[in-house]
Amino acid sequence: MDIIESRTWIEWVITIAKFAFCFVPVLYILLLIPMERRGAGFMQDRQGPNRSYIKIPFFGKIRLLGYVQNMCDGTKLFFKEMFAPAGVNKVLYYVAPAIPFAIVFLSPCVIPWFGPMVFEWGGQVVRIPGSIVDSEVGVLLLFGLSSLSAYGAVLAGWASKSKYSFLGALRTSSMTISYEVCLGLSMMGMLLLAGSFNLTDIVNWQEHHVWGIVAQPVAFFCFLIACIAETGRAPFDVAEGEPELVAGYHTEYGAMQFGLFYMGEYSHICINSFLVATLFLGGYSVPFVTTETMQAHMGGSLAVLCGVLAFFALAFLHLIYRYSRKLKATNLTNRFEILREYSLYKIVAWVAVAVLVAGGVCAWLYYDPSKFVVNGFAVGSFATAVGTALIHLLVLVAKSVFFCWVWIWVRWTLPRFRYDHVMHLGWKIILNIALINLVVTAVIAKLVGGN
Amino acid sequence: MRVIKQRPMNWVERLYVFEAIRGLWTTLKHAARGLLRYETLPTISYPEGQPEVRNTYRARHRLMLRPDGTPRCVACGMCAAACPAHCIFIEATRSDDPRIEKKVKRFDIDHLTCVFCGLCAEACPVDALRMDTKVISFEHRTRDEFVAHLEDLTAWDPKDYPEDEQSQMAPGGTKNAEARKVWGMEVK
Repeated sequence: MDIIESRTWIEWVITIAKFAFCFVPVLYILLLIPMERRGAGFMQDRQGPNRSYIKIPFFGKIRLLGYVQNMCDGTKLFFKEMFAPAGVNKVLYYVAPAIPFAIVFLSPCVIPWFGPMVFEWGGQVVRIPGSIVDSEVGVLLLFGLSSLSAYGAVLAGWASKSKYSFLGALRTSSMTISYEVCLGLSMMGMLLLAGSFNLTDIVNWQEHHVWGIVAQPVAFFCFLIACIAETGRAPFDVAEGEPELVAGYHTEYGAMQFGLFYMGEYSHICINSFLVATLFLGGYSVPFVTTETMQAHMGGSLAVLCGVLAFFALAFLHLIYRYSRKLKATNLTNRFEILREYSLYKIVAWVAVAVLVAGGVCAWLYYDPSKFVVNGFAVGSFATAVGTALIHLLVLVAKSVFFCWVWIWVRWTLPRFRYDHVMHLGWKIILNIALINLVVTAVIAKLVGGN
Repeated sequence: MRVIKQRPMNWVERLYVFEAIRGLWTTLKHAARGLLRYETLPTISYPEGQPEVRNTYRARHRLMLRPDGTPRCVACGMCAAACPAHCIFIEATRSDDPRIEKKVKRFDIDHLTCVFCGLCAEACPVDALRMDTKVISFEHRTRDEFVAHLEDLTAWDPKDYPEDEQSQMAPGGTKNAEARKVWGMEVK
């Protein structure tokens, strides 16, 4: 019982609640798939999937701006028959898709989702780290876990008893291992500057000095390329190159087994984008504002947050109003149906704007931590810590969403490299650049007299 | 033989990075267009929005009419002879008009067999057969319904062809049917 009593109950509650962050990559799939499909459509001057709808009684059809299509596809994959071709290794065949997907739940544990929460609770100072596991080897643990996902591809390729799958698995494994080296080395400069493997310390260093992208632009570039290569997406998707290998290591998979590979890939993108944002874009730290300043002016910070969100809601409203006007002028036979649906979005967005503006004004005028007392128990510093954590989390999410967009953007722009070109780029170019960058960083850091 | 000599890439292009960034900028512009100027996308959301069809497009056939409402067709059979798909079936009968030798009794076009080449319209010596109806979709329940008969081919409205003078000469509307009745071709 000593270990339980060594901490206050609020500390235990938050520590356990932090495990909910394990589900963030899975939730990101819900964001990434529509972003990828509509984004790809727009880049190719198409409309993207937008035809599926849900019929609401007494209202009409709602299409949720094309989002319903993804629900339909998910449902279809989920209810399809699980099928194994003759002659496969049954155990490995069924285990393989689960591996990349299971790792998705482990990888987010070392990412700092917010700065350490420090607050007073009943006269004693409580400090809760922002990551689920506040490990000293944080980033190494993350690399170790995320490179495990290669096992899924290798086992799938081996178990499928298909030449295409086997070749795809070979390519995936060799490429993942090669780019793992580049990934680690390009990041070393940043670790050298921060003087720690702990991601919270790295973000802390960036918050008080400069962002990693300014201090280590070359490393950022190498890291981004290696990250994209490691997730195995275009232009580095030689493992699933359709012209040569049908679909690579998941050729023989269908239904939700394929779905697990698919979701594993998207979650991998999510984790890698969180990693890039944490290492090189200041992680959870707000640009130009330190956490201490933010906590000193918590009301104002919350008001600014509400203002930014209200701005996004207004931008959405502008798009909807503009397109409604254009749609009214066309002679599509279903235009009134769509306009009716848009009126729903208008109501929701206006309510959101009103709530955000009201909340922002209230936070600006009336936020006072000293007034926050529950049953004679002061929780003012706790409220400030929660507010800080909220802002940190949203900032981190915004940065990572940007990098998710970079993944999609690069995929639908650049053509696939040939396999030997990928290896050439990895071993002969990026690795060398990363090494030179590391040496230069080390020399400069020594001369300037940093860590 | 024409040989196209490609300019060798200069060193900036061979670095790939800057060209890749240029490509990214291009796709970003297109993505922004889709997001902010959605209605300018060239896609037509088809069943709700219809594409613009020119009258030179080889669409469903129609038979032109004389000012008295009778078909211009003289049942010469040249369209059926020209047809590479053998989808036109014509039966002739004696014309009531002494100036004209034959009139058409049966004129069927099987649109399931038709390849829409337009050779029939070109072969017609009296400009009776045209393919400018702009009807591009054929949807029916049975195979028989895809066969257009004389009544279907002549049942067009001059109002749909405002730019064509010859179509305006036809009586149009219910008068088309009345004229056919006089001609002995009642629509049942």
